[in-house]
Amino acid sequence: MSTRVRIGMLRLTDSAPVVVARALGLFDSLDIHPTLSIEPSWANVADKLTYGLLDAAVMLPPLALASALGLRGPAAKLIVPMGLSQGGNTIVLGGEAIKESAGLPAGARLLAWLAGQQGRPRIAVVHRFSTHNLLLRYWLSLTGVDPDKDIETVVVPPEQVVSALASGQIAGFCAGAPWGVTAEMAGAGSVLLGTSDIWPFHPEKCLAVREEWATANPEALTRLLRALMRAQVICDKPEQADSVVAALADADGLALPREAARAALPGGSGHEQIHFHGAGAAFPAPPHAMWFLRQMRRWGWIAPETNIGTVARTLYRPDLFSLAARMEDLFVSPVHSRNFEDSDAFAAGPASEISTLPF
Amino acid sequence: MLRRTKIGTILATFSLNDNRTAAVRILLADDDAARAGALTKVLSADASLTILRPRPGELLADAVVALAPDVVLVDMARPDRDALDGFRVVASNSPRPIVLFVDQDDPAFMEEAIGAGVSSYNVLGVPPPDVKPILRAAAALFRHHQIARSELRQAETRLREQETVNRAKAILIRDRRMAEPDAYRWLRTRAMASGRRIPDVAQDVVAGEKQAKDPGRLNAPERTPQNTHEEGAQ
Repeated sequence: MSTRVRIGMLRLTDSAPVVVARALGLFDSLDIHPTLSIEPSWANVADKLTYGLLDAAVMLPPLALASALGLRGPAAKLIVPMGLSQGGNTIVLGGEAIKESAGLPAGARLLAWLAGQQGRPRIAVVHRFSTHNLLLRYWLSLTGVDPDKDIETVVVPPEQVVSALASGQIAGFCAGAPWGVTAEMAGAGSVLLGTSDIWPFHPEKCLAVREEWATANPEALTRLLRALMRAQVICDKPEQADSVVAALADADGLALPREAARAALPGGSGHEQIHFHGAGAAFPAPPHAMWFLRQMRRWGWIAPETNIGTVARTLYRPDLFSLAARMEDLFVSPVHSRNFEDSDAFAAGPASEISTLPF
Repeated sequence: MLRRTKIGTILATFSLNDNRTAAVRILLADDDAARAGALTKVLSADASLTILRPRPGELLADAVVALAPDVVLVDMARPDRDALDGFRVVASNSPRPIVLFVDQDDPAFMEEAIGAGVSSYNVLGVPPPDVKPILRAAAALFRHHQIARSELRQAETRLREQETVNRAKAILIRDRRMAEPDAYRWLRTRAMASGRRIPDVAQDVVAGEKQAKDPGRLNAPERTPQNTHEEGAQ
């Protein structure tokens, strides 16, 4: 039975699994026929998911969590049944001085750059509840910089960060591909490091689905996940990059610039490459949700008494992922398929791993 | 939590420490000059409302700091709307949280405003303006412009298609020496036989003519209703 599903996304390279599934007929082959909606802002995606104008969306995990917690409007009833991508963002600082420290460790470069700034430099991120912002703040803190006192964070749409940096409206940014490399080529700034340098294979975009739609259409949801899994496998293959780029550049769709899109795909030439399938990119791991939630609590955005374990378990649905993955004969690790509730080992999660990194 | 309660109750808990005039300051962030002008006119009819506009190219967050509005009305097509999501405006040492206006009791109203493409934010820290009538007026006007635009697009498409059909008929009359009614019947018969629309068949005739003049070019791909891209959620 054919089911209506409206999927929202932004004009970004990591929307690839959805547009590739459409372009290569993967949705059709599983008899699911989504309407794709290209949205201008994350706030639009979150509002439309909340009020039922979208059924699913390519989403920032922290924003999905913030929406579910009611941190930006009414609490939205969402689920995250799969991850869509890993990595792909870069931290860029502007000005001439940063060029002189090339070759030094990123942390040392940051501190030298900060010492030369007048007042609190403004660093742009794409949304407050973004992977970009949380990983930037995490790294700044590791380096001894207070993200609330030593810098000022502003939100600037990704497509505007390079011009904002060139005009001096901001002093630096953390944004997705291709804007870091674009800024460097325009002479506006220098790429300091990628977010995968901070947390290798960090979850970047996920699929957020309205709980109401998922409950009413369990079979369609499974087919949707299967089609996206097939697309992810294709997106991860460098030899398929041409067809992925063609889908991303489609003038009637995302209309992304070809070269810039290619640079951020596997086998590309950018500072960071996005991963879609390998290293568990598709798995909606509750420990990842826990890491984001712990960071949000750390910055005082979540009330300390909130039971973040319950939030992570309610939102992230590895059970739904595993159901679809088995039908696709994709390997589901026994660790991943274990009941999250029973595992204290997960409570430490990625935070303990990455705090031992030499940054 | 603050956001879970009705906005009126939240705002009522703030002390009356406003030392500006009593007028409600509305920052209208809409790059559509005609629509923004019309909405300004509608809202200005209420003398207690002051309408402010951001400067061209100004970051939305900067405009909020510079103009100190009580309410921000934003065109949802603006990508910089994200700047207001969950951020606090730090002005004169006192952070003023910005909160999306939500009518918890009236989800249909919220859905209508979002569908129309306008959202409203309250800048907390001052006594409560009554936001719902303001957002209702904005949503009505945005919806009106949306309908007008889609009607205009449909009219343009119809005109363009008529033009294509006329050109195809002219080609058939010239090259196949058909009479005009026969040319039209020819297009209609082909359309019915292939299950396509007359303007699409006409487009092929026109494209074929172009290709004949410029043999180096590849023929345009067939346009069928099946491969036209589905657009937008609503």
